This record gives sequence, structure tokens and C-alpha cells, in this order.
Amino acid sequence: MHIAINASADLPIYRQIMRQIEEAILGGRLNPGDRLKSHRELSEELVVAPLTVKKSYDELEALGYIETQRGRGTFVCAEPPGRSKSDKRRRVEDAARAMLAQAESAGMGIEEVVEILRQVNAGQK
Amino acid sequence: MNPVLEFSNVTRSYKRGVPVLDGISFAMQPGEVLGLIGRNGTGKTTLIRIAMGMLYPQSGSVRVFGLSPTDEPIAVKKRIGYVAEDQTLPSGSTIAELAAFHKYLFPKWDHTLEHALLERFALDPNKKVGKLSKGQAREVALLCAVCHRPELLILDEPAGGLDPAARREFLETSIQLLNREGTAILFSSHHMGDVERIGGRVVLLDEGKIRLDRDVASVGEDICVAVFPVGNEVQAKLEGIPGCLRARAVFGMWHLVMEGNPDEATTCITSAIGPREVQCVRMPLEELFIEMVGGGRA
Repeated sequence: MHIAINASADLPIYRQIMRQIEEAILGGRLNPGDRLKSHRELSEELVVAPLTVKKSYDELEALGYIETQRGRGTFVCAEPPGRSKSDKRRRVEDAARAMLAQAESAGMGIEEVVEILRQVNAGQK
Repeated sequence: MNPVLEFSNVTRSYKRGVPVLDGISFAMQPGEVLGLIGRNGTGKTTLIRIAMGMLYPQSGSVRVFGLSPTDEPIAVKKRIGYVAEDQTLPSGSTIAELAAFHKYLFPKWDHTLEHALLERFALDPNKKVGKLSKGQAREVALLCAVCHRPELLILDEPAGGLDPAARREFLETSIQLLNREGTAILFSSHHMGDVERIGGRVVLLDEGKIRLDRDVASVGEDICVAVFPVGNEVQAKLEGIPGCLRARAVFGMWHLVMEGNPDEATTCITSAIGPREVQCVRMPLEELFIEMVGGGRA
């Protein structure tokens, strides 16, 4: 997977790395058992300090996304958080809430939002 | 672990009564990367020269690997690599001749590393140093500074005058050294993006003192800037608010650099000066630098 670092963003670099790995796991681009690059490999690839990569991995490990197996490397956990059916549903619900809030500020009702969803969906097929 | 470099209460002035460094203390651990930042003329180069034993501190002390760099220059310089801000290399000699000269000075010279770096930088060993571009000259200076595998690498504005691609290559090399050799690196820079990339720790100098010394990730998370309209407050009072690192007025607005997250900072301000409409946000290092050391604006 590719990680993009933006040094002038207001999110510290270790958080940018964390977020992108987290999103890759939630989005299924990284799967349970997949091996992550070593601190050293990723630090040289991204041109960031190895301690910064270590910090991201440590935090992801504390959150239960990845685990380090001594001498073997770092892997995505068998059951990382946020991948159950109810977690996925919750994320879609959050997106729906954001969409409804935007529709409300634009003076649109629920019917109009449903209509937009149908049209966009038809357009994508 | 013993620090590789330690400044204790170092002072230095070039003009009587005008200290360039006014009581600087910090220590660096083995393998640590420290980015030294500050406006032009705030003593970054002076501090580096003191570490190299090229200048005496007028009071206080500096220890490199526990030794005084002025009393035991050879023992110290064997284990240190240094690229000066205005490094001048002998223009008439070739890269190979220059490398041979350094090899002669440093018995621990690593030929494999030398050749790897020549290849990485695509440098022709037979080229005369005087014919090199600015970026290539810096690369040669870096090569000469690292092939004896120093435990501490000191780079005074390594990126000065380099284009973004050359800067990135320079950073890549520094990070590889850090990874492979565990070299501690002290570097001064005006490129905040570079400091964020490779600096584990950042030290901000201003008016001879250390204004900030902390982990670079924590700078982005545990410091924020609060903005509110100027009323009848005075700067000194605002700077006395707990957690306030700096206050300055910019175009009719106070800008306060505050410890903590935006909510905490807002609470600190309103409980000190009463309810105000405070906007408080986190900022990247470049903006924080300006908030910390930039001047006020009417």
C-alpha cells in the first residue's frame, strides 16, 4: 500500500501514517495476517525518522489493529476493530447524518435526498 | 545512557552585554535526531561551533561523549562528523583526492559506505571539486563527514540553498545513516517540513534562550494558537496566563501560543481575562515558528 506524507499538514506525521494504515485496514486494502513494512523500510521509503514510524505502529498496536511478532515482523490482527457488520453500518450511518445535515442547510427535504441518492447510484452503473 | 552531547548553561557573546547564547542547556542521547531552529542570528551556528570546539563558551560547559571538545579535540573529532553551513572544499582537488585525504585522517574509514554514497549521489570521483554544483558539493561534504562512521553527525543548515529534490536526497541519506549506524544527528534548518520529517525532537532558539524543546509530534498536538480581538489587555499580562508561551498583536488581533489542546487553551484564556470570543487551532510547525518568534504587526 502507498502512504502519502504531507509535512505541512496540521496533523503530525505519525498521525498521518496511523490514519492511512487504519483506513487501509477498514477499507479492506490490508487484511488480517498481512505483513506491514518494518520500521526501517517504511522510514526509508517515506523519508521520515524511524522513531516516527515506531510511534505510529505502537499506537496502532495499542488500538488493536496490528501486532508485532518478535523476530517475524508486524502483521494486521486477526480481528482488527471496526470491521464487523455493525461497525460498517455505523460508518454508513455517520455519512448519512453528515449528508442530511448538509441537505438541511441547503433547504432540501428527505425525499429530495433519496432522489439524489437514486440518481447518483443510477449514474454510477 | 550517557549523552553524546551536552550543553550546560552555555553563554557566549560577541559584543559585551549582548549575549548571543544566554544560558543554553540540553542533552542529546545516542541515536537521537534533534532539529535546531530559530531566526537568522539567534546563535544556532555559534552553538554548533561551541560543540565542535571551534569556539569557547564564555561560561557554562559543553561535553561531547563526556569530553571537552577544546581539551580533547582529537578524541572528540574522531567520533563526530560535521558539515558547516558554508563548507568550503579545496576546489582544485578531485573528489577521489579529497576522499583519500579524509581516509588518511580517519583510520576507521568505511570504503563500502564511500562507494555506496558516490553511487547514490551519482558523483564522478575524478571530477574536480570546483566544478561541482552546490548540491553536489554538499553531498561530497556529507560523504567526507560520514564515512568514518561518526556517532554524532552535526549538520549546520544542510539544506541551505539546495533544490527540493536535492534536499530530499540529503534527508534520505541522513535517515539511512540513522537506521543503519544509529548515528545521532544535530542539524540546524529553516525548512520546517524537513524538521518534521526527520527531527524526533525540535529545539527553538530565540534571543539567546531555548523557547521550545520537545518532541516534534507533540508540537503539533499539544500546542495551539488562540486568536481574539485586541482589547485593553497588555502583552505581559497575557504572557502570564498559565500555559501561554507567547503573545503578540497582529492587525488588531492577539495571537497567543498556548500549551494544551484548543479547548483547554480557550478555558485558560477565558478564566484569566474573562469571556472572549476565542478561536483556537492547532498549527503546523512552520506557522508555530512564526507565532513564536515573528514580530507583532500594527
